[in-house]
Amino acid sequence: MATAVQRLRGTFLPLSFNSGLNVIGILVVLVALFASTQRVIEGGGTYFFQTLGFGLAQGAIFALVALGYTMVYGIIELINFAHGDVFTLGAFFSLAIITSPLGALIGLTPSSSGAGVILPLLGLFVVTMLFCALVNIAIERVAYRPLRHAPRLAPLITAIGMSALLEGIMNVWKGPYNLAYPDFLPENQIPLGGGATIAAKSVFVIVIAVVLMVVLTLFINRSKLGKAMRATAQDRDAAQLMGIDINRTISATFFIGAALAGAGGIIYGLYYNSVQAFDGFQYGLYAFTAAVFGGIGNIPGAAIGGFVIGIVFAMSDGYFTTKWTIPLIFAILIFVLVFRPTGLLGMRVPEK
Amino acid sequence: MSRVRDFWNSNRRNPNAIAYAIFIIGAIFYPSIVQFLNGGNGDYLVGFAADGGIYILMAIGLNVVVGFAGLLDLGYAAFFAIGSYTYATVASYHLGVTPIGHALHLPFWIALLIGMFVAAAAGALLGAPTLRLRGDYLAIVTLGFGEIVPIVFRNGEVWTGGVPGISGLDVPSLPGWFVGPWIGQDFGWVPDFRFNTGNLTAYYVLMCFLIAITVVLVHNLYNSRLGRAWMAVREDETAAAASGVNTVTVKLLAFSIGAATSGFAGAFYGAKLSYVSSENFGFVVSVTVLAMVVLGGMGNIPGAMLGAAVLYFILFRLLPDAPAQLQSLASALGLDFLNKADPNGWPGIGEVVSRLKYVIFGLILVGIMLLRPQGLLPSQVRKQELKHAEHEALTAPRQLQG
Amino acid sequence: MVRARGLVVLTVATLVAFACGGSTNGGSSNKGEIDIASDLPTSGADASSGLPTQYGAAFAVEQAGSVKGFTLKFIPFDDAVNGKHDPTKGTQNVQQMISNPKILGMVGPFNSGVAGAEIPVANQAPLAMISPSNTNECLTINFDYCQKYAGYTVSSLRPTGKNNYFRVAANDTFQGPAMADFAFDTLGLKTVAVWDDQEPFGLGVANNFAKEFQKKGGTVVARQGFDTSSKPDFHSWLNRAKAAGAQGIYAGATSASYGCIPRAQSQGIFDPNSYYLGPDGIGDGQCLKDSGSMANDHMYASQGVADAGSNSSAASTIAKYKAEHPNAADTAAYTFAAYDCAAILIDSIGRAIDANNGNMPSRQQVIDQIAKTSNFQGLTGTYTLNAAGDPTTPALQIQQNKSSGWTTIKNIAVNPGS
Repeated sequence: MATAVQRLRGTFLPLSFNSGLNVIGILVVLVALFASTQRVIEGGGTYFFQTLGFGLAQGAIFALVALGYTMVYGIIELINFAHGDVFTLGAFFSLAIITSPLGALIGLTPSSSGAGVILPLLGLFVVTMLFCALVNIAIERVAYRPLRHAPRLAPLITAIGMSALLEGIMNVWKGPYNLAYPDFLPENQIPLGGGATIAAKSVFVIVIAVVLMVVLTLFINRSKLGKAMRATAQDRDAAQLMGIDINRTISATFFIGAALAGAGGIIYGLYYNSVQAFDGFQYGLYAFTAAVFGGIGNIPGAAIGGFVIGIVFAMSDGYFTTKWTIPLIFAILIFVLVFRPTGLLGMRVPEK
Repeated sequence: MSRVRDFWNSNRRNPNAIAYAIFIIGAIFYPSIVQFLNGGNGDYLVGFAADGGIYILMAIGLNVVVGFAGLLDLGYAAFFAIGSYTYATVASYHLGVTPIGHALHLPFWIALLIGMFVAAAAGALLGAPTLRLRGDYLAIVTLGFGEIVPIVFRNGEVWTGGVPGISGLDVPSLPGWFVGPWIGQDFGWVPDFRFNTGNLTAYYVLMCFLIAITVVLVHNLYNSRLGRAWMAVREDETAAAASGVNTVTVKLLAFSIGAATSGFAGAFYGAKLSYVSSENFGFVVSVTVLAMVVLGGMGNIPGAMLGAAVLYFILFRLLPDAPAQLQSLASALGLDFLNKADPNGWPGIGEVVSRLKYVIFGLILVGIMLLRPQGLLPSQVRKQELKHAEHEALTAPRQLQG
Repeated sequence: MVRARGLVVLTVATLVAFACGGSTNGGSSNKGEIDIASDLPTSGADASSGLPTQYGAAFAVEQAGSVKGFTLKFIPFDDAVNGKHDPTKGTQNVQQMISNPKILGMVGPFNSGVAGAEIPVANQAPLAMISPSNTNECLTINFDYCQKYAGYTVSSLRPTGKNNYFRVAANDTFQGPAMADFAFDTLGLKTVAVWDDQEPFGLGVANNFAKEFQKKGGTVVARQGFDTSSKPDFHSWLNRAKAAGAQGIYAGATSASYGCIPRAQSQGIFDPNSYYLGPDGIGDGQCLKDSGSMANDHMYASQGVADAGSNSSAASTIAKYKAEHPNAADTAAYTFAAYDCAAILIDSIGRAIDANNGNMPSRQQVIDQIAKTSNFQGLTGTYTLNAAGDPTTPALQIQQNKSSGWTTIKNIAVNPGS
């Protein structure tokens, strides 16, 4: 692959042109860092830590969603565009439970608060994650598996289609409105010493996300299924010859990815207190940027990428202007893909 | 009459020729039919078809990228936006209020071509570094580009008119035009004709010409050496490169030609509406055009046109009208409760139908790819290729398992 | 081969299409039907303000029934796409109206951004437009900042040079400052943070608010435009505003552009007793839903028309309307302003019919008569329209969110001369 890239480059652009661009890119990053540092110093420590807290919280949600993108891409090299909408579905489904009689049964209503919500909330997480996982498995069965050997374009188009379909279903279900998501989390600020504080809400979001990611890493590294996943990602045919059930392994990947996205959906609702049918697509794109940034197919890379993108988001909003934050994120996406397609941590991406 | 029969016999096995013939006949008689059916007040429907022509143009262009060269472009609307804004810049009062301080009013045709070339240049600029990448990375890069471009126009302040966009664009004008009883005047020739909303038939005719020109150009390209190179790249890039095809240049050409068509359509769109704003170029436009191409048949020009016409009709005529019609149907059947909106539950049948747009996109994209990947009006080559792939998909895993 | 033949056939046959294409517009001299259209966002998030406004206009047409022997018919259009007002959809609606010769005028649009796109199209027909709720000042008055912030000027909106656009609401040179005065004088705020949705309306009203607030001696500690084409994350900016010492937030936005999402997200950053202020765009039910647990009585919104409830002569009409639309959500701030718009339009059509010897008037005749509207007794006030299309004595109200929803707490008559 590497040689192929070199060869293709050679046919169109002289290599030195690319190196020149790389130098320019590094310069741009340095200037940006310098400008940011100056602003940060002007803004003071308290404000910096608060902004960092928002960035980490947002980044934690990005990371949860990015994991699903990166796992699926690692194993079947498909950009699962519907993933962002599975994430929204998590928020919608959990909201529907909370506002239904079922929610009252397990002790969750839109007006609940206090320590009493912890256990029911855990239950809500489990049910929602399971639901999203099953939906994602169904999506894989219906839309991706039949096209596994079709031209590359075909599953990408069905992925876009599944995304539109999920958005459409949620839109018909609840309408294009903002839905208020209940607010179970404490509102206070936790002092960090020296006048710096972080919102309790952000801490909650970060802790849940990190716990889920640790569990996932242990699972991938230790369990048999995790091994099977890694093997399938490396070489599907060889894995199959070793007696690994490819279909089951791929389904498991979709299952885990969607479970994380579902958890992300609830966290999103709790953190932002509002959700809309079309939120997930855009949010999913940011998360995808995070996955690409960390090196698509690389699990720790996606987690780190998520936090980095979250912090970039918050810093851009907090120190510069919100108007250019979104173009900045997508510019990062394009630049990483063009200049370092293997991402921050780097991973071999075989062309099949 | 015998010539019709000859045509039929010689082209019976060529659905494209028949499709073109039907398009031409349909295009010619459409204005008369809608005027007749609406008692002379069908002008709006003629204008409606002229607007639909913009989508047909875009579908033809995206078909070059997706269908011919096999590249997934998810930021197609960005080039549409670039075409529109370029037209708005060179053919309105807009530049006069920017720091440049001098308005440009280029003639319509020149402005249209500038819009097209600027979009093509943007396509080449974006494509040059990214087309070396894997196919699905291209999809993501174009998607990111498609998200950035409208925001840049939105945030461009005085240079792009900011969020409100630019209004008061020059309307199309031609050195001359026929007038006659269809707009309530005597037969005659008007020199220096300026298009206006009172004569939508003129827009319609202009649109038909633009589509005809585009089809002829793209059709010739497809049958040229370049068209065969596209096919080779789409089928097997490595093999194509090995046979001496310069894959990057070939892909870049497909990408730029697609962008050019989109920019061309965008420029016309700006001229027709006399107004551009960043709101109209979102991801949904890219998905709509993609769905049109997939529905009609990837890789086939009349297929893309048919897909565009069908989906345009569904999205912009059937769906907006459906709520009112369903509401009256429900009350006629005595099912009035279906129309009543409950603030916390059932939103009323009209509202539900008006929300169906995305479900339709999804069903088309998934359903067509799974059930009839060659589309409504397939390209003969592409059909075999997709069928072949399907066949492989069914057999390959079993061989391995066995 | 086919294509070449096709092109020739197309060329020739287009001419044929011309020849048999159009039948002439049949303008009958008998008394027939006259249509009044409306163009409002009546689906999705905007529907909570658009639908009640449409009901008001429809009710006026229904009450009138006919004018000088012509039957009246109301034709509503929806300019929302995916639940949000859309200027392009609006212009398409206007084109559709223009092609129906029975439509002599329209009530609407609701949003200034839509008006900016529609006026040039309607102007060329010409078609009379009368809006109950457009408040952006640049639609009718020339200011040096108009081209820069709104993207249009009075003359760029009117290619024919003649006016076809009217409104009854007070423009933002009144609405923004009215809230600024109220915030400074009545609420006693000294420092506020201001954000806007970058639309002509939101940006304009926020600028006017900020200008007046600073003139009074207050400080705008943070000022930001947000891209609301997708839902923004307001946390960091709110934190910035709080760090800068803001006592309250002014939102130059509408509910469809996430006007009250920052209210919900300010939880934990701002005290629930901090103030949240905004223009008419947030004075609706969707805003209160979006505010979540932060929806309380420290939220205020201005409305660009007077409260019809305080006009005693309007009571019977309002009672009739409420009997027909008992649902509380069917009455909103601009319901009766839309009623007045439709009534002014009908009244003017009547005078235009007289001016045309009892025949169907032309659209230009209708526009001429609207421009002559003087001392028209409406539900929300007495209207005289000036040459620019503005009411000569506009009125405003300030509403507070109380347990029963948005409640008028102050009516303000403005004197444009001052």
